[in-house]
Amino acid sequence: MATTATLTLASADIAGDPVSVTKTATLTKAGSTNDLDQSTGLNRVHLRSTTNKVLLAANAEGDNLAAKVYIINKATDASLYVTVTINAQTIGKLYAGDFMFIPWSQTDTDADIEVAATNWTASTGDIPVEYALFHEDTDFLTNA
Amino acid sequence: MATTIASINITSTDLLSDSLSLSAIATLTGAGNSTGLTHTEGLGRKTLASGHAQYTLFDGTNRTADKAHKIYLKNLSGTAAEYFLITVNGEDMGRLYAGDWAFFPWSAHDADNDIKIDPSADDMTLEYMLFTDD
Repeated sequence: MATTATLTLASADIAGDPVSVTKTATLTKAGSTNDLDQSTGLNRVHLRSTTNKVLLAANAEGDNLAAKVYIINKATDASLYVTVTINAQTIGKLYAGDFMFIPWSQTDTDADIEVAATNWTASTGDIPVEYALFHEDTDFLTNA
Repeated sequence: MATTIASINITSTDLLSDSLSLSAIATLTGAGNSTGLTHTEGLGRKTLASGHAQYTLFDGTNRTADKAHKIYLKNLSGTAAEYFLITVNGEDMGRLYAGDWAFFPWSAHDADNDIKIDPSADDMTLEYMLFTDD
């Protein structure tokens, strides 16, 4: 059982020489070569809140088990962004089309991953966000 | 204006009862606009030889807040148990185990918003890269 994640970063002109980075990771359990075997599947939400909403709620049993989070802002309007936080600490802003893929330690039960459609207004329309969690914590049975 | 593409493919033939194939392509642009990111700090490596103490990889003080910074990290270790703990402004993001990579936006919203790495063993090497409109 293997799940792989491949990232490619490419640019012909951001530097004097081309940038071409391709890396593949096999998603494994913490500290082992055993494959991750749990997933929430791909989820989709439509954000219309300028305040933080819990996307993934930290689970005490998940503390420092391996978990990988994928989030993408599916908006097409370049100005619309989603602010991503862990335990209220801002990680960054996902602008339209941007994605992120990070490890998630769930160091404590406050380590929720939250998102906010920070510059949403009634006239901008919802911001669609897709996300998936790949992990090993069998106690993580539900989304937030 | 430069054009920089980031793409991701997540695949599995046996995690679920149906094959998983998830992919996305992003053109990295400035904050709130469609202008391509203009700067990179290139592909770098950092080996933390001894003491495996926490190390500041990106200092929030040196960056303009709320630009469209993007960070790539990869743990080059070949030992499964070895990891880098990634923190943002003191908050644990997660453990990057051997062979794992991460790619995420970084707000650098204040001077405390450092990206720090803390290796679990000596002589571990992290590969990293920053793309930015700063």
